[in-house]
Amino acid sequence: MLTRIKSGEIVDPVNGRLGKGDLWIRDGEIVETPRSGRADRTFDASGCVVMAGAIDIHSHIGGGNVNTARLLLPEEHKAHQARPAATPLSNAGWSTFETGCLYAKMGFTTVVEPAMSPNAALHTHLELADIPIIDKATLAILGNDDFLLSMIRDNASPRMIEDYVAWTVASTRALGVKVINAGAAAAFKENVRTFSLDDVVPSYGVSSRKIVKTLQAAVDRLGIPHPLHVHCNNLGAPGSADTAAATIAAAEGVPLHLAHLQFYGYGTEGKRKFSSAAARLAELVNASPEVTIDIGQVMFGQTVTISSDVMRQFSARGTAHPKKFVIHDGDGNGGGIVPYRYRPDYYGTVQWAAGLELFLLITDPWRVFFTTDHPNGAPFTVYPKLFEFLMNRDARNEVASTLSKSALAHSTLASIDREYTMEEIAIMTRAAPAKLLGLADRGHLGAGAVADVSVYRKGKDIAKMLGRAALVFKNGDLVVKDGEITHYRWGRALRLNPPPDRAIVKRLRDYHEHRYGLSLDRFTFPDSAIQRDEPFREVPCRA
Amino acid sequence: MTVAWIGNRETLLERAVRHAAALLHASRCPVFTFDTDIHGTRAAIALAERVGASYDHADGAGLARETALLTDKGGMFVAPGEVRRRADLIAIVGELPEAHREFVAELAETVPDLIAINARQFFLVGGGGRGLTLGNGRKATRLSCGKAGLGGTIAALRAQCAGRQVSTPVSNFSRFQAALATARFPVFLFFGQSADGLALEMLQGLLADINRKSRASALHLPASEGGWGSTLASTWMTGFPLRTSFARGFPEFDPWRFDVARQLAAGEADFHLWISDGVKKPSANSGDTKVVVLAKTSQPVAGAEVTFAIGKAGVDHDAVVYSARTGTLNSVTADAASELPSAASILRSIAEHIPAGAELPC
Repeated sequence: MLTRIKSGEIVDPVNGRLGKGDLWIRDGEIVETPRSGRADRTFDASGCVVMAGAIDIHSHIGGGNVNTARLLLPEEHKAHQARPAATPLSNAGWSTFETGCLYAKMGFTTVVEPAMSPNAALHTHLELADIPIIDKATLAILGNDDFLLSMIRDNASPRMIEDYVAWTVASTRALGVKVINAGAAAAFKENVRTFSLDDVVPSYGVSSRKIVKTLQAAVDRLGIPHPLHVHCNNLGAPGSADTAAATIAAAEGVPLHLAHLQFYGYGTEGKRKFSSAAARLAELVNASPEVTIDIGQVMFGQTVTISSDVMRQFSARGTAHPKKFVIHDGDGNGGGIVPYRYRPDYYGTVQWAAGLELFLLITDPWRVFFTTDHPNGAPFTVYPKLFEFLMNRDARNEVASTLSKSALAHSTLASIDREYTMEEIAIMTRAAPAKLLGLADRGHLGAGAVADVSVYRKGKDIAKMLGRAALVFKNGDLVVKDGEITHYRWGRALRLNPPPDRAIVKRLRDYHEHRYGLSLDRFTFPDSAIQRDEPFREVPCRA
Repeated sequence: MTVAWIGNRETLLERAVRHAAALLHASRCPVFTFDTDIHGTRAAIALAERVGASYDHADGAGLARETALLTDKGGMFVAPGEVRRRADLIAIVGELPEAHREFVAELAETVPDLIAINARQFFLVGGGGRGLTLGNGRKATRLSCGKAGLGGTIAALRAQCAGRQVSTPVSNFSRFQAALATARFPVFLFFGQSADGLALEMLQGLLADINRKSRASALHLPASEGGWGSTLASTWMTGFPLRTSFARGFPEFDPWRFDVARQLAAGEADFHLWISDGVKKPSANSGDTKVVVLAKTSQPVAGAEVTFAIGKAGVDHDAVVYSARTGTLNSVTADAASELPSAASILRSIAEHIPAGAELPC
């Protein structure tokens, strides 16, 4: 089928298309204008912006910890039925099915679940497979697992470590690797309560820095397109900007992605010893071309924090609202679920402002990514409002005027005039994520790209415009019209598939049988276990 | 091979599917009880959504207590692999269910390798009148509190650990206290069959106390492995665990109202879909309730309007199941593959014969 999206304002930074024109789709692919000029169906996009489908690189949408959060908070879901407008978490949708629909309505077509425990890969993929419409991907967590820590302690060769990383990525069907508070979860099991970059994991004698550097090198040498995705130490702590700065410095010219940098954007100024240090971090990011970051913006309201940083979550359990939490010591990281309400008080204001400062002071939209670390900073359903804050200084200043003045006194936010352009939004939410993840087939509107297309009706109300897409196409199928789902389809999980090394498989087999008393087969699964047609799509590693 | 009966008469599968779908579509308050694998659960919930049914597990009571711990309180938990490799003190909370004896025996026969203390001590908290012999002849030290019951025993244990006076001290407390003082990673094993909600909550209180200064956690060994898998699938599909209903057009969770056994006993339901590939059988048909059964059977089930013979997940067909041993979902290859249909395939067929509603989610 040949589809024409006619007379839209095309914003496609990758191919340099900026301006009014037509976009043609043949079946599931974007094509050049056909000679015949005749379409089977035509959609009038006059007065609309036409962009590639958006890509979210860091959103906790499925897996063991996300599901535990659902179990812990049935009342948040129940509230959704009665008063959807007042309960942002409920608006996020608490089921896999709602997640896909709500993302699609905003024009998002690919979302990355960034924290998959390798042992729970099947569970994670089963959940992702039940998220309709969009494509998904996962990052496999390493860095607190005994196998890796033991190899580092025993000075295993880089090649052996790469084989292990490759096996983990392939067997768990991941698109990349994430390390979360490297070494801290292992240390927490030995009753360590704080853990910094140069602290050492008891029993292994391995520092957090060493774990990060080992994994960074392995990911780079394996040609995994997405750089090592790092959740730093000391998340949320006053002075955590020092940790983030040290981690940025540790990149040392090799690509490194720092997740939800806002949660490390804190200094120790003021009488509360808690202040925004975002400007300092933005300067460091600007000066470090090998570093990319996503924000993890905080927005006010009820949410739930879901993290495999079990040590941090344990220390935050006293802040739980409502007063219940789950702490799980897993085989590697485990995790913690702590519901939380961001209030527009001093502390909430510092966090809100720090995120926006990072967005606005990091100059290169190719290296800063649009996230709320859903649902940790806020549920993804706040995205339209967040776009408005970035594109309209009056909108954010109006909110700022209602917040803690003493908190904002330590922030540069009021002095920032920058407003994101639509082209910069297209880079940050489409082109750059595709490049970062190694997804050449999306993030742009060039011929040959997957026909993931979002069409937004232009208007002064940015949140309304970007919150309810006029049209969304996924693989060429029209899935959203006027902000409502029109067609229910199933996406795929994007994955890498580096070939396994036989020696490491044998070693892992022996390890699991000897140490866990279980066959390695208990931790692997065939594609058929998902019970969907073609549940995965393979993405190549760099040559 | 006959796989479908209407009443006592053999029939074609297609005809039985159509008849079951017609009965289901005509019902006003359908309820489902299941004991099946993840894909059977997914298909059952998809069907429940289409017809407005409530659903529960065949082992609903024990699972409901375990679920309530999560929905009402939360807590601290540990993966079974970590227990094997790290736990140097194991406390079994309440009577040890038969299904989990093998894992406890394994723990008794191994020692932790991730901590310096390469030995384990075992305690039994409450646990009725019987002692507990472990796999290799070792015995667990009994911690009991007279007739206090399990909740009272844990409460007394917690109070004594906190240095408080109690009217009836816990037996062998000093031995437990000494073991706890040196333990690096104590783990309490708990089960919904043996402990009520207050006991489980008190256990988490004890863990919270211990974790102020040292480490400890709890291992959840579920009342039913299949049931816990179904709980997880229900939670991701609807946002809610089992005992959820679509009667009002959207998922509602109410562990009392949608306790399917209660609904049936109270005469609220007019249709009961029973799905079990195990040994469990539906309770006797009550009143006018129409019953459709999916079971591993070679003959029609007495009282059922329609009976479908299904294969056992992981035996007759490949499956995804929850494993208490790994603490997550595992893929299982059929070890005696047969032509018996899976619960999921029958349920999907029934759903396809329900007059059009929303698109099926699986």
